[in-house]
Amino acid sequence: MSAKKQTIQTVNVCVIIPAFNESSVIQKVVKNAIQTFEKSPHNISVVVINDGSKDATTEEAIKAGAVVIEHIVNTGAGGATSTGVRYAEIHNFDIAATMDADGQHDPEDLVRGIDELINKKADLLIGSRLIDSKGMSRVKVIGNKGLGFITYLLFGVNSTDSQSGLRLFSRTSIEQLRWETPGYEFCSEMLWRAKQQKLNIKEYSIKAIYTEYSKGKGQNNWNAINIIKSLLKRRISELLR
Amino acid sequence: MISRYLLLFIFNLPFILAALINIITQYKLRRINRSRFYIWLIVWSAILLGLLFAEPIYAWLFASGLTASDSLSLFDVVQITAIVVLFYIVNRMRLKLEVVERRLKNLHQELSIKLKTLK
Repeated sequence: MSAKKQTIQTVNVCVIIPAFNESSVIQKVVKNAIQTFEKSPHNISVVVINDGSKDATTEEAIKAGAVVIEHIVNTGAGGATSTGVRYAEIHNFDIAATMDADGQHDPEDLVRGIDELINKKADLLIGSRLIDSKGMSRVKVIGNKGLGFITYLLFGVNSTDSQSGLRLFSRTSIEQLRWETPGYEFCSEMLWRAKQQKLNIKEYSIKAIYTEYSKGKGQNNWNAINIIKSLLKRRISELLR
Repeated sequence: MISRYLLLFIFNLPFILAALINIITQYKLRRINRSRFYIWLIVWSAILLGLLFAEPIYAWLFASGLTASDSLSLFDVVQITAIVVLFYIVNRMRLKLEVVERRLKNLHQELSIKLKTLK
């Protein structure tokens, strides 16, 4: 954490970036985040969770100035994010934020999100790409809205973008919010757990930057079937446990 | 002579009681929430009542024309008992598997963070 003049609004933020084989872009993403936060009053620590990558993700992230936690085996986005949140809890961060490693999120949105989180007194703030879906392909809009609807049906949580990778957690959320699904479906389970914990869930509009790289790395709509299956399993298993 | 229906009930009773005691204990120890407790209480109570009143249920089904099979044979007793025992075992295994999965996930997470600190 870089030392900065302490003001009332200054908070210690842990930016968690789960990454799997992202060596070609991770350096730029980390540097962007650090440079953007330099202009803000907040202290930032970028933590890359290398989820068992086979490439040079760790080396590239360290070069850019990130703290890197390496998963011994690949667990999935849910597992990696969970490790990041646990790290933020152990190291007493005030706020934890997650963003994607493929560069689809603008760090400026993250800085804006911190103020939103504080002003709205939210515990979990979701950066929604669908409040203003300009630039997003119709297929992705339909896929994300569909999963949002499934999340509502199964868990009763209404979110315009339940699958967003940009989220902010208050200290209460860092300490209380836990999920079990290791894969991408953790996004929906996280909202459900937040609702169970009676945490204050809010949303704010963000823009998504789609490059050829991020389009290639993004979720295939067919994966939604696997996500739905896994969510159904989680819902039933929760009832019978 | 002992009735086969009584035999069926006696064979299955230990497993049903074990399952009921288990869910009550888990609930009292706050390891499961109220909704899960009620669901499993209903499931095992229904099995218990089904076996306790197996003879009148069969007689009613036969009279209503819903079954034309013969009355309970010794082989049926063995089969039904096996199904109840397997249901009990599979459920216990599923629970144990979930606990192991959770512990493994936590272990991996804590280990990754600890290793980072040691470097």
